[in-house]
Formats: sequence, C-alpha cells, structure tokens
Amino acid sequence: MKTKLDAIRECLESVIPGTIATASPQGVPNVAYLSQVQFIDSEHIALSYQFFNKTRQNLMANPHAMLSLINPLSGAQYRLSIEYLRTEIAGPLFASMKAKLAGIASHTGMGGVFRLLGADVFRVHDIERVPGETVQPPPAQHNLLAALRAASERLRSCCDLERLLAETLACLEQLFGIRYTMILMFDAPSERLYTVASRGYEASGVGSEIPLGHGVIGVAAQERTPIRISHMNAEYSYSRAIRESASRSDWAHALDTEIPLPGLRESRSQLAVPVTAAERLLGVLYVESPHDLRFTYDDEDALVTLAAQLGMAAQLLQNAADAGEDAPAVQPAATPVGGMPLTVRHYRENGSVFLDDDYLIKGVAGSIFWTLLREYADKSRTEFTNRELRLDSRLRLPDISDNLEARLILLSRRLTERGAAIRIEKTGRGRFRLCVDRPLQLREG
Amino acid sequence: MPPAPAPLIDASHVAFIQGAVGISVAACDRSGKPALVRAIGCHVTEDRPLVTIYLSAIQAAQLLGCVRDNGAVAVVFSEPSTHRTVQLKGAGAIVDGLLEGEWECVQAYREAFVRELAPLGFDPVMVRTLLSHRQADIVALRFVPSEAYSQTPGPQAGAPLKAGT
Repeated sequence: MKTKLDAIRECLESVIPGTIATASPQGVPNVAYLSQVQFIDSEHIALSYQFFNKTRQNLMANPHAMLSLINPLSGAQYRLSIEYLRTEIAGPLFASMKAKLAGIASHTGMGGVFRLLGADVFRVHDIERVPGETVQPPPAQHNLLAALRAASERLRSCCDLERLLAETLACLEQLFGIRYTMILMFDAPSERLYTVASRGYEASGVGSEIPLGHGVIGVAAQERTPIRISHMNAEYSYSRAIRESASRSDWAHALDTEIPLPGLRESRSQLAVPVTAAERLLGVLYVESPHDLRFTYDDEDALVTLAAQLGMAAQLLQNAADAGEDAPAVQPAATPVGGMPLTVRHYRENGSVFLDDDYLIKGVAGSIFWTLLREYADKSRTEFTNRELRLDSRLRLPDISDNLEARLILLSRRLTERGAAIRIEKTGRGRFRLCVDRPLQLREG
Repeated sequence: MPPAPAPLIDASHVAFIQGAVGISVAACDRSGKPALVRAIGCHVTEDRPLVTIYLSAIQAAQLLGCVRDNGAVAVVFSEPSTHRTVQLKGAGAIVDGLLEGEWECVQAYREAFVRELAPLGFDPVMVRTLLSHRQADIVALRFVPSEAYSQTPGPQAGAPLKAGT
C-alpha cells in the first residue's frame, strides 16, 4: 500500500534534520540539510527558502529532488521523491513558516541567521520506506480523537457564550492535558484582539489586548492560519510583548490603561488557532506549554477542529442573545444605596472608564458600561437587554459582527475581578441586571 | 614538474569527517533524478586523498546504480551539536567491498555517533538501531574529492572549504 504523506508527517518536524538531494543540469549531485519542512496536504510539502544556495540553484534548473526524513521515535527512514512547483512569498503558508522558522532559529542559536525569503512548494510523487531496523515508539499518552469527541459533546450543551468559553478551556485542560490557555476576541474597528477568557495563569488578564499582526496570536489572526511553535525562547521576536503596545496608546492622560496579557514566562511551545464563523474572524484560541515540542500536527488538527465548533457555537449563541426579549422584565426602580460615593470617570475619546481613578475598561465595552450607568443614574434602571444596547446609537456598535455578548462578558469579568461595587448579572437569554452597591458620581473626563 | 595542487581538505577536515558526524550521500541518474542515502561511517586513506563512505547496499540500491553508471557523488557531513557542516563532491567514485579493518571502522562510527547524540536527548537505542546493519550488507564507496564546501548554516554556506573552517 502506498504511504501517504499525512501518515508520516511527524517525520517532517523531526528533531533529526532531513536532507535533500538535488542535481544540476550537468548531472552533478548536491546534498544539504533542511531547516524546515512544512506539511501542506497529503501530496504537498513546503521547504524554507532562506539563502540562494546550490540546492535552490539546482531546483530552478531541475525541479526533481529527493528528501530523506527520519521518524524521531522509531528511527524509521523515508525517502520522498519530490518536484519543485512554486515559491510563495506572502500569505498564510509563508506567515506560518516564518513564525515557525523564527522558533527553530532561536532554538538552534541561529536567531540572526535564519530569515525566510520564501516558502518553496513541492509535489510529493512517491514515498519510499527505507529498509532497516526500527524501535517500538512509546505508546501515545492519550487519544486525541476521543478527547475531541468528548470536548465536542461538552461544548454542544453550553447555552450561553460565557459558559461556552469557560467550557472550552476546561476541556483543553481536562481532556487534552493543556494547562495554559486563553481565548481572545477580535475587535474589527480597532484591529485588536482582547482577552475574554483564560485558564491556568496567576492573573486572568481578561481585557488585555494585542494588535492584529503582532506575535503568534496576532499573526494567526491576521493570516487566518494556525501557528504552532515547538521551540520558543525569550529572544524570539514573536514573543507576545504587550508592553510595546502601551507606547502606541494614543490617549493623553498618563494613567495606565494596559492590562498585562496573561502568559507563561518560560513558554516553550505555543499554538494559536483562529476562531472563525462563516469565514469571519471571531478571535483566537491560544495554548502554550513550558515544554519543547508539546504540540504536534495532531494537536493542531484537534484544536483547529475544536475552534471550528467554538466559532459556530459562539455565533449561534450571539444570535440567540440578540433575538432575546425585546423589553427588559418589569422591575421596581433601583433602590437607593448608602455608603461612600464611587466616582466613575469616562473618557469619550477612547471609551475608557475609571473607578475612583483605577482603570477598569475601554473601547466598546467601556462605552456600553457608561451607557448603562447613565440609564441607571437618570432613570433608575437596572434591567437591560442586549437588543436595546445594539439599537442604542450612543454605543456606535459597528454592526452585527461586533460581538456584543463577548463585550458584556469582558465587562462583567472586569467588574468582578476589580471587586467593584458594581456587578452585571445575567437574568436570561439576552438579558441582564446592573447591580450597584454604592452611590455613584458620574464624571465625563 | 608542476607543483602538486593544494589539498582540498586539511588534517582538521579529515578528522571532522571521520568523527561523530551525520553523513548523507547523494547521486543522480542520467535523467537528473537524485538518489539519497544515510551513510554509516567515513574513512580517509592516509597520504592519499581517498575518501571512503560506508553504506548499506540494500538501503543504497538506487544510489549505487547511479554511481556505477556515472560515478558522480556528493557527501554531506554535519556535527549535530555545533551544526558545523562540510560537503564533498567527487567524480569517478567506485563501489567496493570492505577491506580488512573497515567493518571495525563502521562499528566505531556507530558508537561514537550514539555518544555524540545522547547529550542532545536522542535515545541511544533508537540511534544505534538506525545505524545497525549486517556486515554482509555493507559496501564501500570510494572517491577522490574534487570539490569541497563549507555548509554550516548561514550566509557563508556553500563557500569553498578553507583550511580550519
């Protein structure tokens, strides 16, 4: 039976480097080591083009090459007859390989040396198993398909977005053994991703942001492609240094409105998977580990599949929340509360809100919060619906694509984490209540 | 009598390619299709720049056919711990049986390579298995290098080999 490339793809990122043989038109062979082999599908691979060397010179004149790969666990050797097709210098494949190569480079002490000029795409014509002894690889620690099925069943039973997000991260830990995880949602107008749920970190980091195109998460979102790094270290330019974005903040006041992004200090393996619904980017599912080589091609497949379900479910729940009750439940007007007044300050230019000079939130979530507080102060209202928020022109919500439910989750989590005297409680599908424990003084900044 | 050309490889290169390095050999057929095989040791004959590479005849069947046909070979040597890499090319290579002492050379190479890889986290059992062959299956590929290149990763990769690199 003919071996398919997908059956041996663990050899493609083996710690034992592969080799490539090419030949000049004059019949002079050449042999070289490979830094990166990327699986595309069962008939195609890509190799990194970093320098114009003899291999590349030969390939431009004679597209036939042979690749030798070794399974790092069993020692099984394979030879692939391949043919050069084209070079990609932009797009998802290029971005994914570039990010990976930077990880390989830093791992091998080649940080300043490796730079991706292109992704050379090859057709795989034949795969030959080289005769030879092998060792029995250790058994797998768990079955990813079984974990995926169990996770899928658990996600299916989630009835609101907050539960869906929390359950996704719980499944990753309990079924996949991945301890450090987060979900970021995409804010299209600002081209930023904001953390809406995380698990495993000391601080949740909910509300922290990363610009599109920055770091592993930002590149995965921008290119709509999963990015998986097996060797990571601090000098790596793709590290998710969020502080950088602080210097680009454009509002005038000096108060710190940056929430640190959660993340492992000693992250060695990372995987960022875009979450989409009907081709639209909703956000990114991100996982990491303090161990090298933690995430395999199979993990990537499992998480991409899980992210697809997460995207569809999030979209359905969002629509359901929007289609909820037209009017809030009739409730008595807010009862007056006593105690020290809480000063809430709002800056219109970026929607940022401060509670007694402590930063709470900004952007659309900040504008939503301010609108709720104004309704509370002016009309003593405490009961609200998603639907009326969406119709409120003061919020300037861009369109249906703006994830209102996710922003309410973000706002609710921030209020809880800050231990504020204000809370948001869900009262039903697409409905919630504003709970205020102290008198409020609202100030426009 | 014209002076003898400077040797392509010096004593340090000879020591390097006979050491605990990964070795792969390429050849190609008349249609330009390359063949490739992992080797299991190298020996350089003293006083003569004759390089011998040891191969499994079963694994190298296609490559040996190419070599018998046109004699052109390329061999890459790389040290896993340093990435130091050298490529030699030759024409007129021949396929030969093992001479006395050469089987011991193959066994010594295997053990040296297992030792080199162990600190890098490679399972010694796997590496030893990868390089295990029956003595009757081993053939010698002998050639005089006509070209030599440094292929250590980086912008200088592919430059002609210089002494001490």
